[in-house]
Amino acid sequence: MSDSDNSEPEPAAEAAGYFCFSRRAFLRAAGAGACAACAGRLGDAAAQAEAPRPQTAVHDAMWYERLPDKAVRCQLCPRECIVADVERGYCGVRENRGGDYKTLVYGALCTLNIDPIEKKPLFHYVPGTTALSVATAGCNMECKFCQNWNVSQYRPEQVESNLVPPENLVRIAVTRKCPTIAYTYTEPVVFAEYVHDTAAEGRKQNVGSVMISNGYIREPALRDLCRHLTAVKVDLKAFTEKFYAEQCAGKLAPVLATLEVLKDIGIHTEIVVLIIPTLNDSAEEITSMAKWLVSHVGPDVPVHFSRFHPIYRMKNLPPTPVETLDRARKVSMDAGLRYVYVGNVPFHAGESTYCPSCGKVLIKRVGYNVDASGLRAGACRGCGQKIPGVWSQEDALAFKSREKSEPKPPAAP
Amino acid sequence: MSPGAAITRRGFLAGAAAIAAAGLPRSEPLRGGSPEPPRQGIAQGPENGARAAGQETRRAMSAPPGKSRVVVIRHESLAAEGQGPTPERVRDLLDEAARALAGDAKAADAWARWLKPSDRLGIKVNCLGYPTRPAVGLAIAAAAGAAGLAPERMIIWDRTTDELRRAGYEPRGSGSGVRCFGTDALAQRGSGGYGPEILTSGAIGSLYSRIVADEATALVSACILKDHNLAGLTCAMKNFYGAIHNPNKYHDNGCDPFVADACAHPLIRDRLRLVVCDALRPQYHGGPAHRSQWQWPYGGLIVSTDPVALDRVALEILARKRAAAGAKPLEAENRPVRYLASAQSRGLGTADLAGIEVLSIGKPWNEI
Repeated sequence: MSDSDNSEPEPAAEAAGYFCFSRRAFLRAAGAGACAACAGRLGDAAAQAEAPRPQTAVHDAMWYERLPDKAVRCQLCPRECIVADVERGYCGVRENRGGDYKTLVYGALCTLNIDPIEKKPLFHYVPGTTALSVATAGCNMECKFCQNWNVSQYRPEQVESNLVPPENLVRIAVTRKCPTIAYTYTEPVVFAEYVHDTAAEGRKQNVGSVMISNGYIREPALRDLCRHLTAVKVDLKAFTEKFYAEQCAGKLAPVLATLEVLKDIGIHTEIVVLIIPTLNDSAEEITSMAKWLVSHVGPDVPVHFSRFHPIYRMKNLPPTPVETLDRARKVSMDAGLRYVYVGNVPFHAGESTYCPSCGKVLIKRVGYNVDASGLRAGACRGCGQKIPGVWSQEDALAFKSREKSEPKPPAAP
Repeated sequence: MSPGAAITRRGFLAGAAAIAAAGLPRSEPLRGGSPEPPRQGIAQGPENGARAAGQETRRAMSAPPGKSRVVVIRHESLAAEGQGPTPERVRDLLDEAARALAGDAKAADAWARWLKPSDRLGIKVNCLGYPTRPAVGLAIAAAAGAAGLAPERMIIWDRTTDELRRAGYEPRGSGSGVRCFGTDALAQRGSGGYGPEILTSGAIGSLYSRIVADEATALVSACILKDHNLAGLTCAMKNFYGAIHNPNKYHDNGCDPFVADACAHPLIRDRLRLVVCDALRPQYHGGPAHRSQWQWPYGGLIVSTDPVALDRVALEILARKRAAAGAKPLEAENRPVRYLASAQSRGLGTADLAGIEVLSIGKPWNEI
């Protein structure tokens, strides 16, 4: 799931003047008479034990393969869970029901907020606008430093949620004048069917869709989603397999593959790296990562180095020193990355965008306040340097994913 | 009772609360009135381990020194298809097994070793796919009642109330008698009915059910013996995956060491008093879902205070049945039961058959 798009969003959002939905407003806005909330609000155990539970948001899964004995192999993420009848995959939100694989969280939103797009963070994507930000329960990793573990590491029946069908969510975005829907907070890959359908519906209503993801997804599913998405942010949690194995219950290689596929698709992509003291903060590792990004994704991909705060299963480490983030930013830029930011450090100069040619401030950011007056038509107002990004809603909606590139022939000896 | 059959409220009350409150007269003795059915031990040591005076260790109450005792009681009445045995019938056999396990002449004395009247007992059944039969859960409650526990101090539980209902249990949250509800019924306390803090045990980090953390002071694992497509076996210990909020995270590597770690947390380790395994019609393949073509009429209850030893014996039964049925060994299907060794290394019990004394009551345990 996303490290950077911190859930607990209500106070921050309200403080910044952004809107978050109360439970009542959530229900009213969603138009969801059908409440898919989990058990638990009906009073005592007696009442609960005897009350029938409402149906969860069950929907056919899109990416899986049937196996003998009514088992299935999930084809959504690199885990490729083999799931026996009545069991669930690692994510906890996909269940085998008699040989048919189902997602249990289609539209079962546990979070619905309006956030600044910078909070995702997406700094080169229609700056200064808002994103209707949603999540369901579940994740296909288990990061020990997860900021949103109290939804991402839960099963759908363990969190309160409400059914919001795709067309309703798009309607909310239009009504609330949000040009973008962000699938975020937890891990959108695990509710990919909903992302797919909602993003497609959104495009019909001129609403873009951005996925804030750990990038742990198989290529076919990613390509299917990107036919409708308008941007993706990937958490690159470290640059070693050891870190992914020990801290995230995942693997690095599939995430790197995702970044290459995104490059091939051509969709706007930004990357967040949560820097954790002693675990992934060495200059050598950051340099290696930056060099890989330059050579495989390109020097223009925006990279955000975010500050870690102790939480969940990683409370034994201190917050990241700002100097460590500064060093990460410097060595990355030395390695060739052009747009490198510091995150989770308010008022830091590294929040702003600078022209790589003349050094002028293009987009000044202080918290979620944005002044993009240094940018004109996607170029530096001072020297005219073209700045990569998606700078208007029209550009966002104009994006069409490229089909898979043919493998390059081997180079001649 | 068939797994899917619902028990009536009257049946539930009759089977548990009333029995527990008042006690039931014993029905006919096992095996046509034989007061002392023959017992067979596969391991070294006395056939009938005499109770050592004052010995109160949790493992192997009266087993030979260094050995864990597992009692397997078998009777054809347990293997019947359709309605299956009544809770009363199961209780008779369970009491017989309890006496053998503890080396006591009276079943009440045996149960009193494990449970005190002041305990609050959580009977953890397994309702996923092919569930622990309600007759087994109710029989445990009835036997515990005879040991002095008030019915109101007992909860038959699993993850969700819906799962219990589908498995044939009749949920009850309050009133007189044994309660029966899922962890989710406590969701109004927050965290979906699980405790608020992540608890770490070895490789796992989980929220534990508030039934374990807040309600129960004692636990009985009322598990069912069946195959598991990833872990190889689901029985005494894996039953407690139903006590944590995120079991889906811990199925890699055949659930090893995660099953052992889940059970090694003091919330489980210090509360677990007994395991009663429903081996009436075990399932040797295709689990954890209900697959009747791979179930057979073993007609057994397996009882132990050592969950690792019980799982080891259960695995041996499954392995022998798989061999007899021509199924590949679990190892050949790349799903050996790895977590038993991890459990032993954590001091949860004995995973080596040589360290286990198996007492058979009725048909020999290893005659498949």
